[in-house]
Amino acid sequence: MPRHIHIVKVHHLTLSFPTRKDPNPKPVLDDVDFGIRDGEILGLIGNSGSGKTMTSLAIAGLLPESARITSGSIKFAGNDLLEMAPKERRAMLGRDIGMIFQEPSTALDPLMTCGKQLDEVLTAHKDKAGTPEERHKAIVEMLGTVGFTNAEEICGRYPHQLSGGQRQRVLIAGAALLKPRLLICDEPTSSLDTVTTVSILALLKDLCHKLHMTILFISHDLSAVRGFCDRVMVMKDGKIIDRDTASDILTNPRNSYTAELLTNSRLDTRILGLEPATVDYSRSPVLTAKDITAGYGRSLFERVKNKKQTDTNVLHNVSLEVFPNEILGLIGGSGSGKTTLIRSLLGLLPHSGTVNIKSSSIGAIFQDPVSCLNPAHTIRWHMSEALKASGRQLSSEPGSRAERRSRELARITAVLEECGLGAGYLSRRPNELSGGQRQRVAIAMCLIQEPALIIADEPFSSLDASSSAELLKLMTDINRERHTAFLLITHNIHIVRQIAPRLIVLHNGEICEEGPTREVLGNPKSESTARLLEAERSLHGL
Amino acid sequence: MQSKAGYLIGKTVELILTLLVVSLLVFAAFSIIPGDTARVMLGPDASESQVELLRAEMGLDKPLATRYLTWLASLITFDPGKSYAYNVSVGELIAQRLPVTIGMSVIAMIMVIIISYPLAVLSARKPGRLGDQVCSVIGHVLFAIPPYVASLLLILLAGSIFSLLTVGNYVRPSDDFAGYIACLLLPSFAVALPKIAMSFKFLRSSIIEQKTADYVRTSKSHGLSDLKILIRHVLPNSNVSSITIISIILSDILGGSLIVEQVFNLPGLGRLLLSAISRRDFPLLSGIVFYLAFVTVLLYFISDIASSLADPRIRLK
Repeated sequence: MPRHIHIVKVHHLTLSFPTRKDPNPKPVLDDVDFGIRDGEILGLIGNSGSGKTMTSLAIAGLLPESARITSGSIKFAGNDLLEMAPKERRAMLGRDIGMIFQEPSTALDPLMTCGKQLDEVLTAHKDKAGTPEERHKAIVEMLGTVGFTNAEEICGRYPHQLSGGQRQRVLIAGAALLKPRLLICDEPTSSLDTVTTVSILALLKDLCHKLHMTILFISHDLSAVRGFCDRVMVMKDGKIIDRDTASDILTNPRNSYTAELLTNSRLDTRILGLEPATVDYSRSPVLTAKDITAGYGRSLFERVKNKKQTDTNVLHNVSLEVFPNEILGLIGGSGSGKTTLIRSLLGLLPHSGTVNIKSSSIGAIFQDPVSCLNPAHTIRWHMSEALKASGRQLSSEPGSRAERRSRELARITAVLEECGLGAGYLSRRPNELSGGQRQRVAIAMCLIQEPALIIADEPFSSLDASSSAELLKLMTDINRERHTAFLLITHNIHIVRQIAPRLIVLHNGEICEEGPTREVLGNPKSESTARLLEAERSLHGL
Repeated sequence: MQSKAGYLIGKTVELILTLLVVSLLVFAAFSIIPGDTARVMLGPDASESQVELLRAEMGLDKPLATRYLTWLASLITFDPGKSYAYNVSVGELIAQRLPVTIGMSVIAMIMVIIISYPLAVLSARKPGRLGDQVCSVIGHVLFAIPPYVASLLLILLAGSIFSLLTVGNYVRPSDDFAGYIACLLLPSFAVALPKIAMSFKFLRSSIIEQKTADYVRTSKSHGLSDLKILIRHVLPNSNVSSITIISIILSDILGGSLIVEQVFNLPGLGRLLLSAISRRDFPLLSGIVFYLAFVTVLLYFISDIASSLADPRIRLK
């Protein structure tokens, strides 16, 4: 193919999802017009719903069947993609255009070994296939390129035997196997921890040079593209509203929306007004956990075979205290036992050791707001269920049933409003809400129980930067006004630095460092803290 | 890391324990039922000493634990005593009737698989299309018909109106295998009909679910054709969840054939079971109940092993 200045040229592309009821809906992509230069790394930034994923799917030809391109064209190396037959377009996938996606944990077929799945990339394109030995050699070579030292072994492994970062490397190997000219990366790092993110980005950059690839990098985190992308485009409501070189956009944003995104991703405490409550450490703690040791169940047979096997434990003698009004940060890389600890504290996992809670209830919010709410019921139902579960039901109070109901409704509305959701949300169902709004509902469900402590397990990881910033503000407001303590689990050091006065670092199921946040982060004593900090620094430059 | 052999041994131990519990329950059930077997056999006119003599002969005077252990040992050797009513060994009686029940179940299962599988794949290709909706509606109707009603309708349809297959006839497999299959076809179909609807609905929704999985998107981005993605990724994954359902369907079919045998007048286990109940033939009854339970438990065991073979996440924990 001849070389062009622009490898991809998207020309006034408009795309919508017409239905029978609404044949002319508001376009999802509105007159999108841009080019990707050969050899560059182009960042495409925007909040969820801004149309960045649809743009990439349109280029790849993987749009959902209900999508209609109403005008515009997409040219790849001079050829009009929209004029091509579906078969020709499919043949381009993998060979000319590679893609990697957001969630490496589900992006590989669980029933097939990694080697076989990579082999499919080669066999799907007959002209590049070759003999089985040649294919195997190519796969092993590529696995080596993406950083595996034990490539042969990885070939024979199933996806569940790999970590998230390893799976993403396998996926990158699959996408790069046929050395495509364009690699589309759709939020490839958003579900990975900071340390892994840094290594994946370094790998992508390296591949870009080695294989002369062009990369379209999609992300919601503006600060994460620093030092990675050459140029950045910002999308909002299906339109590209800002484009500039990466350094200019990050240091001197001209567009007000870009500036806002930047503030959100940097979590500037002064601009966002994050003011956590002051903590009095002389008061008795709301939660005391002593010598928590926990692990995951073994089968009956294993237990019979080996009674005193303790190496399945994920946590070893973890003790911690949370004081009233406090926001306690708990950080650690993936696999450090953060989630296991939370499950033990909540009593969801059998463990040895004691947990004392000085409160009638503790609330919990989790990572994935999608699966935490029941899709069949309205928000009002969720709230009144939470109220019932708290035992603070109003049924014992005097008054007629109608009066009690209206009092309950008033209470629910008040709590929802406090969480920034008006009365209009009462009758909505979870699928009518955005990720950030669902997470607010989860918090409201905790708040209505009036807990002294809310445990938040990675509540930001599935939200875009703007929603994260808003949620963080809500949490600090609750902390300040309601004196609710938080135990905040995250792999994002940056967030902890902004709002948590005290910090615990977990590594390999043990607490390796503990103390005031400023001291721990300012002068890290353990290697794992230092590694987390280093990754943070190289990612965000903070 | 758990080894393959370890998993198998663990499952086998589970199987044996389950069977022990099942045998205990069956034995307890028939020991608790009021009524003296010896008295029933000899009739109301027999003297007390005659009854005592028979009780001793049958071992009914021994303590419960001894009787249970003797019974258990006889089950393992496939010789759980003699039937009171037929005066023939229970093992022999069951072996005589087994070909009908097992044959019907196997034929019904094959029908379920060869009809529901292709229909589910076709239906799931474009969910919501006319063909898919027609299949779903027919499925709902079939699902609601109990096997004995379906049998009567089929007898009416095939026997009286079209006179395709002889109804109510039975040929031994040793005499004429083709004839044996032919006379089991209709009853098997009656058993299979609601199960076809059930497995169609289940397979269809599991294929639709798998089609939106992330790994399908990855395969698409690798340039695989839709057919290849269906065969290599979607179907194997939907099979993993279907194996459990299919084992449940199979045990349902076994129960269904016991009833349908009656309608088609086939000499299967169902009729033997009914006559054993009406004659209070406890050795025969407990034998049949235990061996039916045994087959069901065995089916679940096999489905566990099969799903562990199909799913590396179970196999290589």
